Amino acid sequence: MGHAFAVFFAAVFTNNILLTNYLGMCSFLGVSREVKTSMGLGAAVVVVMTATSVLNWLVYSFVLAPLGLEYLRFIVFIVVIAAFVQIVEMVIERVSDTLYAALGIFLPLITVNCAILGVSLFMVIRSYTFLESLAYGAGSGVGWAVAILAMAGIRQRIGGSRVPKGMEGAGLALVIAGIMALAFMGFNGMMRLN
Amino acid sequence: MKTGKIVLRNLGRDNPVFAQILGICSTLAVTNVLKNTAVMCLGLIFTLALSNVTVSAMRRLIPGRVRMMVEVLVIASYVIVVDIALRAFVPDIARQLGPYVGLIITNCIVMGRAEAFALTNPPGAALADGVSSGVGYSYVLLVIAFFRELLGSGTIWGVRVLGDGWVNWSIMVTAPGAFFMLAVFIWIVKGVWLDSAPADAGKAGAR
Amino acid sequence: MLGAFLLAVGVAVAINLVLTGLILFAGATVGDYGECTVRVNGDREVKAAGGRSLLSTLKDSGIFIPSACGGRGSCGLCKVRVEGGGEPLATELPWLSKDEVKGGVRLACQVKVKGDLAIRIPEELLSVAQYEVEVASIADLTHDIKEVRLKLIEPGAMTFKAGQYVQFEVPAYKLTDEPVYRAYSISSDPVDRGAIELEIRYVPNGICTTYVHRHLKVGERVNINGPYGDFRLSDTGRDVIFIAGGSGMAPIKSMLLEMARTGCRRNAEYYFGARSREDLFLEDLMQRIEREMPSFRFIPSLAAPEGGDEWSGETGLVTDVVGRRAGDVSEKEAYLCGSPLMIDACVELLKKKGMPEDRIFYDKFS
Repeated sequence: MGHAFAVFFAAVFTNNILLTNYLGMCSFLGVSREVKTSMGLGAAVVVVMTATSVLNWLVYSFVLAPLGLEYLRFIVFIVVIAAFVQIVEMVIERVSDTLYAALGIFLPLITVNCAILGVSLFMVIRSYTFLESLAYGAGSGVGWAVAILAMAGIRQRIGGSRVPKGMEGAGLALVIAGIMALAFMGFNGMMRLN
Repeated sequence: MKTGKIVLRNLGRDNPVFAQILGICSTLAVTNVLKNTAVMCLGLIFTLALSNVTVSAMRRLIPGRVRMMVEVLVIASYVIVVDIALRAFVPDIARQLGPYVGLIITNCIVMGRAEAFALTNPPGAALADGVSSGVGYSYVLLVIAFFRELLGSGTIWGVRVLGDGWVNWSIMVTAPGAFFMLAVFIWIVKGVWLDSAPADAGKAGAR
Repeated sequence: MLGAFLLAVGVAVAINLVLTGLILFAGATVGDYGECTVRVNGDREVKAAGGRSLLSTLKDSGIFIPSACGGRGSCGLCKVRVEGGGEPLATELPWLSKDEVKGGVRLACQVKVKGDLAIRIPEELLSVAQYEVEVASIADLTHDIKEVRLKLIEPGAMTFKAGQYVQFEVPAYKLTDEPVYRAYSISSDPVDRGAIELEIRYVPNGICTTYVHRHLKVGERVNINGPYGDFRLSDTGRDVIFIAGGSGMAPIKSMLLEMARTGCRRNAEYYFGARSREDLFLEDLMQRIEREMPSFRFIPSLAAPEGGDEWSGETGLVTDVVGRRAGDVSEKEAYLCGSPLMIDACVELLKKKGMPEDRIFYDKFS
């Protein structure tokens, strides 16, 4: 139990999936222009990451591993993620318009988000237990959301600044991401995750 | 479109990495060591080329509704092949690459080329497009890996090249180093090269 | 070996089947919204199964909202006013102005039909229909532009305004697995209601242009829908400047034919930019219109005449020619049709020469 907490906090801070593993960069650079949209996307990532890491852990531990088919995990994980996202979208749409407007519309964007698949793959490689996988999925989601929110805040703040030619947009975003990664390295003293 | 043209375009102005900053997610992480980057790039080119050809060959058989799903399955199958091959032939590197091999599946470029090119072109052109997109993508990463390894560890391909007086820039092998390196690279490319290239001649209209 | 392979395939298939089953089940239960009614402009009612986008629901009932991106929320064209339609989604906001948001305007492709709805669309969209047409003739205007004449079969006549466009349906063929739509301006006189003409320029590997240039035969039947667009001549009586390049000729030609036929007295100058002599076309027709309509001048220009071109007219980019010849434009109106590059340059120039922006109308190729 205690280790699961450690995994959670490590996933948020010291081993942030975006800033140390570079996963989810595409949507990160694309959507981080506005704080409001970033918040929606961040929330969607938290939900999907937590749920899919648990689902994939179950499928992996109870179907693939006993049958010796671990190498099928690439296909199986991505299909589970895609199906889960599609079903959740349908449910959210049914249940609440507000929730759909805030969260649902971002779901299709993250089916092929590398971070989602990455979390499931890391979880297998590090042979996490069920609880640890849950903590790792949730922590990575929160970490990703924190990173994109911070990024969107900074980008909005410096939106009007003059930037050297060629550095506008992506170039500048990468520099910001680099500085944020530096800042997050400061958490390294707190704990380590292997 | 002529094959030569496809190749040139993918290596130059339309290179996916700096034209759209696509697909860096799954590979940036391995650019701290040149050798790992090279292996990863080979895997990516293999997947990209073959999945492009396969999707192109099947393009008339895939129903529109399940298109994305089929593409993902095709790509994932090739990635499994790459994964098994790496673990059999270069187990050390495979271990270091860890989950990043699997993440080729979600690399935006692989999916993007299948969607944007392979679905509307015959297999031969799709092969040329796949290989050249992969190469265009790879050389950017190799350049980044070259400098990260050189400055961060003083080595190239594991061989020490900078003298003993050299103090390693340890930031280069850590995460922020990759962000800064890529930013500088994009800056140089966009600022110097793309600016001097001639503007596209007037595009023909759709109506 | 074989056993292991079969096991792997079997497990992969089984997992896929289970998930597909789940999705279908979810679609039939939570995704099922029963029959919904969409009331259009207060009188017409459309009944359809809910759960899909407003855009495709309307399309199935023969109401065509113009859309260029096919419902991905990336073109911003399919605007409709939804009464009590709720807040626009974040994906729509980039396309809507503050007033539009206040007025309940939404993008039809982003609105899911989940219950009964009432919407308002421009009345003319209701006259938009799908037409079955027969290719009456195909003629070469230049080495890469063909004029295609389409006889309307069912319905047998179309009412359109000069400057409007139709969408041409390309059936599935070598380059496409499913029908695709491409927009082309009508180049013929609106008085001719039983047939329309399009000018289609060949674009290498273009799905539609390749079809028209390489596969379409006289006598073949295809589908079009339309007419769309608000690029049309005003009735202010002001002097007019037309500027076009390439197949941008089409909507201007339609306007000019109508002006000449109705004995219009407005002063009109038409700057047409071509690359070299072989890209210049319809000079005879333009000279005829000049004779019928003394207030009209056709001013063609060649950007890059070839060695063999005998040419005594204007040379240079069309913007340069307009800059030299147009004089004071502050009281005139301009109608532009052509490539985005040309249009942007011309708008810039006209504004600099003192033409107010709201009197510059254009139809950009996309």
